Amino acid sequence: MKHTKAWGLSLLTSVLLAACGGGDPTIPGSGSPAGAPNTKGTFSAVVSFGDSLSDVGAYAPATSLAGNGLAPYFGGKFTTNSATSTVWVENLATTLGVVVTPAEVGFAGSSVKCPAAVAGLGSTCTGYGQGGSRVTDPNGIGHATGALTVPVVTQIDNHLNRFTSFTASDLIFVYAGSNDVFTQFDAFTTAAAQIQADAAAGKLNPDQANAALFVAQTAAQAQMKLAAQTLAGYVRDKILAKGGKYVAVMTLSDIADTPFGSSLPASVKPVLTDLSRIFNLWLRDSLTGQPVQLIDTYTLFKEAYANPAKYGIVNNTVPACDAAKINAITGGNVTDGSSLFCNSTVGAPYNGLRTGADVTTWQFADGVHPTTGGHKIISDAFAAQLKSFGWI
Amino acid sequence: MTSSLNPVFNHAAAALAASAILLSGNASAQDNVVKVGLTEYTTHSRTNGVTGIGVPAGADATTGNATTIILVYERMVTPNIGVELVLGIPPRVRADAAGTVAFLGSDILSAKNLGPTLLFNYHFGQSGDTLRPYLGAGINYTRFIGVTSRLAPDVQMSSSTGWAAQAGLDYALSKEWSVFASVAALRVKSNVVAAGTTVLQTSIDFRPIVYTFGTAYRF
Repeated sequence: MKHTKAWGLSLLTSVLLAACGGGDPTIPGSGSPAGAPNTKGTFSAVVSFGDSLSDVGAYAPATSLAGNGLAPYFGGKFTTNSATSTVWVENLATTLGVVVTPAEVGFAGSSVKCPAAVAGLGSTCTGYGQGGSRVTDPNGIGHATGALTVPVVTQIDNHLNRFTSFTASDLIFVYAGSNDVFTQFDAFTTAAAQIQADAAAGKLNPDQANAALFVAQTAAQAQMKLAAQTLAGYVRDKILAKGGKYVAVMTLSDIADTPFGSSLPASVKPVLTDLSRIFNLWLRDSLTGQPVQLIDTYTLFKEAYANPAKYGIVNNTVPACDAAKINAITGGNVTDGSSLFCNSTVGAPYNGLRTGADVTTWQFADGVHPTTGGHKIISDAFAAQLKSFGWI
Repeated sequence: MTSSLNPVFNHAAAALAASAILLSGNASAQDNVVKVGLTEYTTHSRTNGVTGIGVPAGADATTGNATTIILVYERMVTPNIGVELVLGIPPRVRADAAGTVAFLGSDILSAKNLGPTLLFNYHFGQSGDTLRPYLGAGINYTRFIGVTSRLAPDVQMSSSTGWAAQAGLDYALSKEWSVFASVAALRVKSNVVAAGTTVLQTSIDFRPIVYTFGTAYRF
């Protein structure tokens, strides 16, 4: 009897803890979201907010074969583009039997909202992710050179403007913050270069230099904390409060686990890693007790990166796209090997694939973006998560 | 101050106080002692390291010492056994960065420790002896107040309940007045959570040794 009572009490306690997100209230980020649906959804749309990883073709006009912004396009997604190449958002939509198309397509000052509407498919324009987009700042990465980089806050507002609200038949993904990481990492490396120059010139002693680096790193982290808290606020106020039921929010992966990351000096890799971790900490903290599900890409991607063979990957260190070929194909306009301009069609004159590369067994298309195979690993992992939530 | 004690301490204190009152029936005159002393609170802290996102391996902190004034009330329950309550003006203890983050400098964390201690003392010799050594054991409750850090706006330190032991010597100047000196060891541990841009955590085992000398008055 005594035992029953004690069990009853501890069960009650655990239920109460689960209901409020658990964790130690004195330790930020130790709790979890709570209260998301645990039943299968009936989905008629995949609504995806984010950046290049979720971009389903916003910048295709920049890759117009004729060079006039019109189709056909040789690129358009941040992967190893081809007629059959899809990104994770499209893969998941296909799994659910729905179609997702870009909410906005354009480049260099001109854009068209919901281009699929002319074909009567206006309800499919729910792929809002755009390469370079940040959480709040409209001036995303590449904005100065023509990328739309509509920030996530505006992406959500645009959806609300078109559809008024979210519904229970929307499967909603919020996967943003990596471009805030890149922006803050840039700010840090710029500051660090100056500090190192000052130290080399004898203006700072080693302790002063370390302290200055600490300040620069803390400043970058503070911006990531702000970005995470702001994004969580958008999820609460603009998605959950507007009828969103099936809401999956992604944490950020460790960008050090990419060809770009491995090109960095060992001393700054942890700084890059920690920007994602700080974002994730405060994202989790700000969503504690909220009825969403977190998909922890940090853990999922790290596992995949550490065990490539398990996922059929033979190369996760060299980009599958060849920067020299893309440079030639774009007439010298694209020098950084961006996969946006990378086509993998066998025999095509605009094929930008590195000789010997494979779009399914090589993980990365460029320094940070996945190949078609890399995207499949992501959509498989996310689908497994959605299954574990009981959503699909 | 009593209201700030945690339930464990309250219960223990109540039980001790009750036994003190029960036993006090046998006590002779001059069974109350009040003492005022100057205390040096020295820490010999050890931490389990400072952890948190962005914190390099080997980050640590050391705690400093503090001086304060204590007030002691001792009730003699037999001619040789006394129960004493030690209260002090909470001293501010500061921590400095150490290990791989020593460059962060001094005073990265500071807190006042409010640490009432209840001790059972055994006094050797007899009432009226000029020199009377004593040994005591009991419990200390320490609560950290006014916790601040220049690295994090939100810092919390958990309270500590632990054993206390002391050895002392009374030197009688008259029937009422005496001077005393004592050395005490306490077990004071606290979990620290400092939330700024990152969340730092550590557990500090202060391992304080407390040296006190002062004046006592019997009545």
